[in-house]
Amino acid sequence: MLEIDGLRKRYGDKTALDGVGFTVRPGEMFGFVGANGAGKTTTMRIVMGVLETDSGEVRVGGRKVTYDDRRAFGYMPEERGLYQKMKVAEQIEYFGRLHGLTPSAARAATAALIERLGLTDRRDDAVESLSLGNQQRVQLAVALVHDPAVLILDEPFSGLDPLAVDALAQVLKDRAAAGVPVIFSSHQLDVVERLCDSVGIISAGRMVAHGPVAELREREGRGVLRVVVRDAAPGWAAGLPGELTREGDRDVLLCEEGDDQAILRTAIGAGKVEHFGRRQPTLTEIFREAVA
Amino acid sequence: MNGLMLVAQREIRTRARTKSFLVSLAISAVLVAVLAFLPKALGGDDTYDVGVVGGTPAPVAQLVYSPLPDEAAARKAVIDGDIDAALVNGGKVIANGELDTRLGLILEAAHRDAQIKAAGVTLTPLQVESVGADAKYQSVRTGLATLLVMVLFFLLVYSAMFVAMGVVEEKGSRIVEILLTSVRPWQLLGGKIVGLGALGLVNLVVIIVVGLGASFATGFTADLPPGMAGIVVSALVWFVLGYAFFSAVAAALGSLVSRQEELNSVLTPLTAVMMLAYVTAYFAAVEPTGTLARVLSLVPPFSSMVMPVRTAAMEVPLGEILLAGALMVVAVAAVVLGAARVYERAVLRTGARVKLGEVVR
Repeated sequence: MLEIDGLRKRYGDKTALDGVGFTVRPGEMFGFVGANGAGKTTTMRIVMGVLETDSGEVRVGGRKVTYDDRRAFGYMPEERGLYQKMKVAEQIEYFGRLHGLTPSAARAATAALIERLGLTDRRDDAVESLSLGNQQRVQLAVALVHDPAVLILDEPFSGLDPLAVDALAQVLKDRAAAGVPVIFSSHQLDVVERLCDSVGIISAGRMVAHGPVAELREREGRGVLRVVVRDAAPGWAAGLPGELTREGDRDVLLCEEGDDQAILRTAIGAGKVEHFGRRQPTLTEIFREAVA
Repeated sequence: MNGLMLVAQREIRTRARTKSFLVSLAISAVLVAVLAFLPKALGGDDTYDVGVVGGTPAPVAQLVYSPLPDEAAARKAVIDGDIDAALVNGGKVIANGELDTRLGLILEAAHRDAQIKAAGVTLTPLQVESVGADAKYQSVRTGLATLLVMVLFFLLVYSAMFVAMGVVEEKGSRIVEILLTSVRPWQLLGGKIVGLGALGLVNLVVIIVVGLGASFATGFTADLPPGMAGIVVSALVWFVLGYAFFSAVAAALGSLVSRQEELNSVLTPLTAVMMLAYVTAYFAAVEPTGTLARVLSLVPPFSSMVMPVRTAAMEVPLGEILLAGALMVVAVAAVVLGAARVYERAVLRTGARVKLGEVVR
């Protein structure tokens, strides 16, 4: 269990974090979203101990996180960093050793990750000779080599092609399934929506919403009612709430309030109802609503 | 400690494999070998070739004998310049024009010794005791000292530079963010300094071994002053101390910037001090007894270059060496602690150059 509690951070007279707090349970995949400069990276750097917090604290297993706890974390910073001239396998192994693995354990973990991430034929190449996508895989391997107890990944999906996104997503899912709390930030809300059990939305240094995705949807209301009617006479929806648009010979009515049964009756009377249902808000809509 | 050793190992492994390291190692070794052979090549040898007609006389260190059939052959060989002089039947010397004074004296002495020995008299050679400063080795000592100045300066600048570049590499690429989640800043900094220092020391040892080896090969060893072991040990110890001092400062200054392009300007104060130490050490090599040399051989960090050079150039009183050593050790301890503090605070602050004032407080 990773608890982030009341983090505050100021740079001069600029407030970066203003009481950020959330909890990630073991095995939970937590998507951290927010606009640029909202405080995602600052929060993650504080969790990793790369940055000092002004107040508040980070806890694992109920007590304040220590340096030794953090050595067991896996971290992928937003600004990628690798030794450009070091070979792939050598580099992954080195980080494993720094995290406290024995030489043989580091070698075994490196071999497994290289295989898993499809880097087998690049294992003895210098990192600088790799494509950006492959460098990103090495970066991920560096974060995973010591079988971390907590995973913190800052924008792990940025710059990846769709196939690489799927591969990375699978790796993260496996880690979560093994009981590891996983936090990652992303601008790709569709990916977050697809992968995450819960999300946290941060805006201007404050958590504006966080919790399981389903719960956030509930909180957003039951969703927008969408009605599609064909061959209806113009002006049939005059008395109804919501917004009417015409797509070819179909009328599409979107409304957020009103008596849905009354709307349905009117629609049936007006023409041929092709679709009638509530649309779940997408994460993008929840996000827009939350940070607005 | 484990983290520090891992970091040091990586530094050694990565750096020792680079072409630039191997090339510089080879160049410095070749250079020193050439310098060691140079006196021999330029000065020629200091032995004489003497042709002998008749019985071969008792051996003398400076003379190389070659037997000749008769006097006519001896005359021809002298005229042709094949030999410096010829000794005929133990009693007559044939020379081309005037006989070389030194050769004359040696031949005369050998001739006299042979006659006295034949008469059954045993001679006791003179006992020589020197009471003044040992001036015999002065030119060799000065030569050694100037060579040492260059070697120390080159290695110190070179090694400290690599420490600073390594720090900037890690800071600039942000890899330091990941590193510092698994090792402490002092381990990362210490490992880098220890690893690159070990390579610098290897380079110095190679230079010394090649230099001494070449001296043995050329027979130059006979001209080396007594106490060479002391000079070598002093060079190694002072290199380690000087390196610890300069590399710690270089690392601290390097941690203030995020790009290699900014490194030169941020290191300017350090390179200025090192240049100053170089110049004074050079003067100390030529004039080791001067006041400037004496004072600066005690003051850290100048002592790290001036003292070993003075030690090579003259016999320095033990008290002064110990005082200089103690002062330098204290200075190194203070600088390393200060540098670790600056490094720790500055290395994660990427972007614009960090002002030193902001991190020392």
